[in-house]
Amino acid sequence: MNELTLIDEHGKRSDGRGIDDLRPIKITVGVIKNADGSAFIEFGKNKIIVAVYGPREVHPKHMALPDRCVLRCRYHMSPFSTDTRKNPAPSRREVEISKVIRESLEPSLILSDYPRAVIDVFVEVLQADGGSRCAGIIAASVALADAGINMRDLVSACAAGRLGDNIVLDINDLEDKEGDADMPVAYLPNIEQITLLQLDGKLSTSQFNECLNKAIQGCKLVYEIQKEALMKKYFGNELELKEEVV
Amino acid sequence: MQEIKRRYVIPGDKIIEGNYKPLMNVMKSGDYLISTRIGIAEAGKDGVKVIPLSGVYIPRVNDLVIGKVIDRSSLSWDIDINSCFFAHLPAQDVFGRDFSPARDDMGRQLNIGDLIIARIVSFDRTRDPMLTVQDKDLGKIPYGEFIKISPTRVPRLIGKRGSMIQTIEQATQTRVIIGQNGIVVVTGRDIEGLSLAVKAIKMVEEESHTTNLTQRVKSLLNVHDPSELEQSENALSSTAEVSNDALSSTAEVSNDALSSTAEVSNDALSSTAEVSNDAVSSSSSSSSSPTPPVTSNSSSQINLDTQEQSYSTAESQPQQQQQQQNFASVDSSNIKDDVEQSENDDASSNLADAYQKEKKQEANNEVV
Repeated sequence: MNELTLIDEHGKRSDGRGIDDLRPIKITVGVIKNADGSAFIEFGKNKIIVAVYGPREVHPKHMALPDRCVLRCRYHMSPFSTDTRKNPAPSRREVEISKVIRESLEPSLILSDYPRAVIDVFVEVLQADGGSRCAGIIAASVALADAGINMRDLVSACAAGRLGDNIVLDINDLEDKEGDADMPVAYLPNIEQITLLQLDGKLSTSQFNECLNKAIQGCKLVYEIQKEALMKKYFGNELELKEEVV
Repeated sequence: MQEIKRRYVIPGDKIIEGNYKPLMNVMKSGDYLISTRIGIAEAGKDGVKVIPLSGVYIPRVNDLVIGKVIDRSSLSWDIDINSCFFAHLPAQDVFGRDFSPARDDMGRQLNIGDLIIARIVSFDRTRDPMLTVQDKDLGKIPYGEFIKISPTRVPRLIGKRGSMIQTIEQATQTRVIIGQNGIVVVTGRDIEGLSLAVKAIKMVEEESHTTNLTQRVKSLLNVHDPSELEQSENALSSTAEVSNDALSSTAEVSNDALSSTAEVSNDALSSTAEVSNDAVSSSSSSSSSPTPPVTSNSSSQINLDTQEQSYSTAESQPQQQQQQQNFASVDSSNIKDDVEQSENDDASSNLADAYQKEKKQEANNEVV
């Protein structure tokens, strides 16, 4: 039954996408003046705003590490981000997602450049529609770059999943709830390394490989959008790399 | 060796392949050098670097910084230098080696909230930065306009060999103190110049990565000047200005007239030529203002008329001769009247002085 409702006979999904299509993504950089770096992402119906502060002094002081910077992440869903009001107190799910976002961003940052300091990342979900952790990671990475923190690479993220026998890209809320598997992946596109891999559901080995490859392809598509957003903020409409001989 | 290139990069972008020396915001990854920041990558003979376009200030030894005193212990001050680390200024640095916390009152030298310009003497990964004010031009900043800009824009604000900041300082007659930490203090006597300097600095911050910025800053400063002049001219009576010019020229003429009449004609010629320039601007301004406030003084009006004539007829020799006579005929009572008038309009003559200074400044700029 589920398969029939989630993918029709023409291969179209519940929101009209094909199995390899991403939802429309729009990233705006530098939306919060008070923050050192910020980004706003619209990932399908997801609307997430991310602010980065730092490197700055650690409070409380005892949290500081002598050899590197502390990265703190807070993923939070607004009470109005879902159909029914969400209690604004941090839930188990939010605490977990804060942790996985932090761990997916950490490998991209050169934290040893800022000893005894802290970088705070605030991910605020204004509207949720499945895949908000991926969208949060995408925006957080762009905001970190906007804050001018030394990074090895941007982090892009995308989920893939299984609807019946089909492996599809970029699971939305309905597919997350009714589908058979959901696998969010965060990826460093230039270094070609995975920084987050979660799986909710069941996949065979071949399905897993297909799903992972598809998610990585999705990440590469997302990376181009991240890059474009950053270029647009800093270099105006010159989206092409400007090369000149001095 | 590949040719020297500049290009825009974001973190993770491959800048160049090969055995180059990574200088700044660049790291090696396999055969490539990759950028770690958003910025402009430069690959030169000495190595590869990325000039960042965003980021907070990270202290470096020998940097000149502007900081604010935020706390005081018995042996040192804590200084906020707009970074993730607080800096320390030891009291011995200010009081000398024989500083004694019991004898010397630290509050007499620096208080909480004071702004200082200092140099970083030591900083590493394990210790907070240490400052010194023991150098020329270092120490407390008593007054000025405080601006915070992004530390990454500081090199652009200074410009090549200080070109940008010199342009701003000269055009606005202010002094600009720049800390590497992105704090700028502008001082100057002229309020208009101050606000113009602040405007120019903010413009540099906003458009720092664009090309031809120096030209645009220059045009901002120059474009703004005439409008300022217009304002000042409207504020004071245009006649007062004219009378000032007339005063100087007639004074010259009459002095010369006293010495010798032969010289008068020559000097009058030159003075009319000089005045004619002033008369152009002043006459145009006086024509734009409907009623000059001071009209009772007929002599000054006569002067104005003669000046206008002198300008309009400067080409023909016989008419000039006639004007020399006109100038020579201006008696000392006229001058007295003019002096009185200018004394009455003290404030306006001050403004006129400022206006003349600005004009000189403009001339300087053109020469530059």
